[in-house]
Amino acid sequence: MSNSENKYWRGIEELESSPTVLGNSSNEFSDKLPMEEILGDSEELSSNRRDFLKFFGFSVSAVALAACNKAPVKYAMPYINKPENVTPGQALYYATTCGVYNEGFPILAKVREGRPIKLDGNPKSALSQGSLSAAGQASILSLYDINRLPNPKIEGDEEEDWSVVDSKVSEILKSASGKSIYLVSRTVTSPITQESIDKFVAAHNAKHVVYDPISYSGIKAANQESFGMNVVPNYQFDKADVIVSFGADFLGTWISPTRFTADYTKNRVPSPEKPEMSKHIQIESLLSLTGTNADYRYTIPASKQGRYLVSLYNMLSGGSGDAELPGNALKQIASELKAANGKALVVCGSNNKEDQIIVNAINDLLGSYGSTIDLGSAMNISDYNEASFESFVADVSKGNAGAVVMMDANPVYSYHNGAKLELALQKTKVISTTMIVDESTRNAAVHAPDNHPLESWNVYQPMVGHYVTSQPVITKVFNTRSAVESLRAWSGETVKLGEDQASHKWVTDYISSTLGVNANQALHDGVIMKSVDSGNPSFAGSASSAAATIAANYKKSSGFELALYQKVGVLDGNSALNPWSHEMPDPVTKVTYDNYVTISRNDAESNDLEQGDFVKISAGGKVIEQLPVLIQPGQARGVIGIALGYGRNIPNALQNDLIDLGKNAYPMVQASTSGTNYLVQNATIEKVGSGYEFAQTQTHHMIEGRDYLREATLDEYKENNAVRNEHKHHAITLWSDYDYSKGHHWAMAIDMNACTGCGSCVVSCHIENNVPVVGRSEVRRRRDMHWLRIDRYYSFEVDADQTASVRVGPSNVDQEFKKGQFSTMENELAGLDKNSEEDQDFGHYDTVKVVHQPVMCQHCDHAPCETVCPVLATTHSSEGLNQMTYNRCIGTKYCGNNCPYKVRRFNWFRYNMNSKFDYHFNNELGRMVLNPDVTVRSRGVMEKCSFCVQNIQMAKLNAKIENRKLTDGDANTACAKACPSNAIVFGDRNDPDSRIAKMFKNDRSYKMLEEVGTDPSVLYLTKIRNRKEEVQHS
Amino acid sequence: MSGSFYSNSTFVAIVILALVLLLIAALMVWVLRHITSIMREKSNVPVEPSFFAKNIKPKMDQWNPTIVTLIVIGALVVSLGIYGFDYGVTEVGVQQGYAPDQPINFPHDKHAGSMGIDCQYCHTTAGKSKHASIPSANTCMNCHKGAQLRDNYGGNVSPELMKLYESVGFDPETSTYDPEAETHPIKWVRIHNLPDLAYFNHSQHVTVGKVECQTCHGPIEEMEKVAQFSTLQMGWCVNCHRQRGIDVKNNKYYEDVHKEMKANNEHYVTVAQNGGLECSKCHY
Repeated sequence: MSNSENKYWRGIEELESSPTVLGNSSNEFSDKLPMEEILGDSEELSSNRRDFLKFFGFSVSAVALAACNKAPVKYAMPYINKPENVTPGQALYYATTCGVYNEGFPILAKVREGRPIKLDGNPKSALSQGSLSAAGQASILSLYDINRLPNPKIEGDEEEDWSVVDSKVSEILKSASGKSIYLVSRTVTSPITQESIDKFVAAHNAKHVVYDPISYSGIKAANQESFGMNVVPNYQFDKADVIVSFGADFLGTWISPTRFTADYTKNRVPSPEKPEMSKHIQIESLLSLTGTNADYRYTIPASKQGRYLVSLYNMLSGGSGDAELPGNALKQIASELKAANGKALVVCGSNNKEDQIIVNAINDLLGSYGSTIDLGSAMNISDYNEASFESFVADVSKGNAGAVVMMDANPVYSYHNGAKLELALQKTKVISTTMIVDESTRNAAVHAPDNHPLESWNVYQPMVGHYVTSQPVITKVFNTRSAVESLRAWSGETVKLGEDQASHKWVTDYISSTLGVNANQALHDGVIMKSVDSGNPSFAGSASSAAATIAANYKKSSGFELALYQKVGVLDGNSALNPWSHEMPDPVTKVTYDNYVTISRNDAESNDLEQGDFVKISAGGKVIEQLPVLIQPGQARGVIGIALGYGRNIPNALQNDLIDLGKNAYPMVQASTSGTNYLVQNATIEKVGSGYEFAQTQTHHMIEGRDYLREATLDEYKENNAVRNEHKHHAITLWSDYDYSKGHHWAMAIDMNACTGCGSCVVSCHIENNVPVVGRSEVRRRRDMHWLRIDRYYSFEVDADQTASVRVGPSNVDQEFKKGQFSTMENELAGLDKNSEEDQDFGHYDTVKVVHQPVMCQHCDHAPCETVCPVLATTHSSEGLNQMTYNRCIGTKYCGNNCPYKVRRFNWFRYNMNSKFDYHFNNELGRMVLNPDVTVRSRGVMEKCSFCVQNIQMAKLNAKIENRKLTDGDANTACAKACPSNAIVFGDRNDPDSRIAKMFKNDRSYKMLEEVGTDPSVLYLTKIRNRKEEVQHS
Repeated sequence: MSGSFYSNSTFVAIVILALVLLLIAALMVWVLRHITSIMREKSNVPVEPSFFAKNIKPKMDQWNPTIVTLIVIGALVVSLGIYGFDYGVTEVGVQQGYAPDQPINFPHDKHAGSMGIDCQYCHTTAGKSKHASIPSANTCMNCHKGAQLRDNYGGNVSPELMKLYESVGFDPETSTYDPEAETHPIKWVRIHNLPDLAYFNHSQHVTVGKVECQTCHGPIEEMEKVAQFSTLQMGWCVNCHRQRGIDVKNNKYYEDVHKEMKANNEHYVTVAQNGGLECSKCHY
């Protein structure tokens, strides 16, 4: 299996055969036992014979001492008054909300013995459709954050009595008379919160200012101008047959990605009955998660985006455009959009009003309004108005503000001129209701900490007509009070304090009287739907004047363009102290923990930069002193990208890798009274150092040129549903077959057509199975513990005539494909050699195709790991599970070495209660999130995906208790539950009616590395792209 | 039944101490004899060689000292090793007979025995959850609000019961709850401690398996002070899983298994035959 037959590559290191990667790839557990690390790094301990004797003597005496310990006395404390419905040991699910993307995302919280341990999406809501993003899953940890304020604070001193806090606040507000009082919050989607704010504003003649870290004001302003509606419309990706996205990362970070992912994939899975799927074209400058899923992807400089939009508009309206993609692709896109006959959708990630007006005009021409876009059921997002916020900053700077109430906004961190605002805030008194001390509230006169969303009552309206209820799922962890109640207390209302929160009554009253539904039922369901008049007004904007403005404003950037973007896990940076968000590898770059400057291969070469070099970035009059460089295939030339959400400056009680993480790029955001722009022209970079090593998982667990991925085009699929899977291997085996005809036979299928690589499953698995967080340096050593990883592969887009007949997969397997469909890397590079200019140019790196492939334990029916375990710690069950018994494992790692899928993880350390891994496992509050049904593993044992056997066992038991047969869906894995695109299906393949049994009959299904005869229980479904290979697109 | 679980190790310590003392005594005897023989030599009194010196010593002198030492050390290592291994495997962590003092001397023999209260009246969740759960104090108060046990205490409330009343803030004189009283949960000592690596679910055994409480917990209705009846070792679990049958007839979950059994003319399927010995049934 030579590397040259590998069509896919994980990263430039692999493609260009970096010696470290190739060395590591054959050596999964390369490191020796880290004795020095375990025993401290003092000089005397570097091992020699005498030290061995010392260690030996120490261990013998330690064992002897340990054996002398008495068994600890354990206690059991029952309730005094057991609440009804609470059964210790049984989980309860409550419908409530979490605060990711915007307020009020509908979720179900799994609660064990009064503490929430897992969040899942609420299937009753169109916003979540039963799934939850990685960031949403991770947000549960903010409840158990040891950095939360345990008590209110007055002038830095803790104060337990809220009435003292209230009188201090009213004193401040009184002394502010004559000056303005401001209340700063994020976009408010809750009518209850809004009422509290209104009361506060009325009582103190205050001004309410909305601040959001990420602005969508351009879309709102454009819709105001085009339709007279100041809204972010409801995009319906499931109804579109052709989707064109100009830089909108709608599957990753844009507006409401979880819901968009769920909708998008509904129309992306072809079946024999309906062999159709939507066509997705992405035109962008950075490689976004959305871009990796596109059927066609074009890279353009972000600054020219507006001109491409105008061109597309002109082409659609019959004219011709001055900006064109290679191969007249934009013209083809225009004709495909037209041919979609109203079932088209064009979106744009720009926050520029003119760009969005053109997008509106295009969608109007295409008849998308009323079909794929609904202005009525708009998204309640981003009420942030730059002009009013700038005037607030100016007013505070002048010293005109007597008091500023910071509700949940943190402008000092994410406002482009945060330093100025911070200085200005020193001239006034800040009253804070944030849960932790952040940049904006460091010097607050009063901290009146808010409840966590999981401790609060509320009703939100994240989408017009779509109400979501929130209820507490845990007794308050700290002495906090809902900000909604605080505001009313400060408005002169008497708010009773105590367990039964005052806001409970306001919420139930609102639901029953204003919304007119039964409050108990509504709180149970978590969602209230009201019909909305979708009345789509006609387009009244002026495309031509917008086009003229775009043309006038277009300037070619001298130097680089800097595109500021959000990462899927980290988002706007609110989750800075959440280790799950940072340990999850970024879906595109596979980097954990760091932020960096992404740059194209070509620009790296011409600027003499290598991966890991440090550069100084100057843009928009601001400077970032040093950030490492990451070479990103698929990135447009002349563009560099930096993620927002890093460089937080907040106190952290834990000593871990989340301190001083990355650099804050928000100061570079181009904001003015007229809007916010995340593109900065005329950026320069300067090399200031080198040698940074990313904690990047892209080259971990490599599968070394074997046949693991299969993809085909839609046309091929239409001809043959089993395309790429024609050749079935009949591996002979030395082992006798297990008999699975009786009972259950658990299996999983992963549809690579539906999988977008969003990472939701990774975090869900992490939480469900008590997987430890290991930190950056351990990830660098390839010791990440994720049971489920998503492999991201690149491949080149190549012209049809450049390739000869080709093989994919191991050379001993006869798998020839039609000319032009597949190419080896060797051929590709040879083909590119013909065009020497392009080769030196690294032109082939500009456009890469990407495949995401989630890989977890394949639960092989002939598992190679089982036969090599010397202590029978990993064995096979009669239900087809590959079982891992931690207390038997002695840590030889034979199983991991024998696993062709590289899915076994070794505990190099005891990650819990270990100050060297100071994450939530190391403090009592953080450990509250642990799943009590799953063992917390100790040092020296192997672990791996168990198919969430705890859920299987629970489902079986429930069926037995209820005296019924197990039905499909009773037993489910955490990854399958979390997946927004339903790409993961889990079930009992012995049940003929189950979804998984049908997957086994699906012609697209194949088993990974079928030829090695492991007979896995996990199926993969061939990825189908809606492409025509014979048409030249580059 | 011994009062404390730790008596075992105390016994071992005493044995070791006795061995050491014996060794010292033997040494002293040896020293004494040596000194006596030297004294005799000095006083030139001819001494009759002892039985040992005459018959055994010459034979011993023929032995190879290295081999003898090795054999002795080897025998010691093997015997102590076997004992240590056996101890480690069978004894460490086993708390059979563990009967700690409880904060309230709750007599199971009165409640479950003479009064015949059903186990699940108090341990309500044994049939529906992983934990059998110790009853919350309000369950006790169902009866003890009225039953104040004054007969044996000269008209006063039983002092043990008084602890319960203090815990829930109940005033037995007026038979009312004091809303202002500070309540606190009762801190019972756990008797049955499974290690975290083993998953055990009561409802699986009580509701599905229809196992009597006494099968594992012993004659609770006769215990004044509850002690751990079984070893709670894996071997004990496995033995039962090998012997007990599953009631496939009366549970629809086992419909397919039952059909197959009837077809094969089988009448009995044990837990083990149904996969009940597989690792991940209990360890995950």
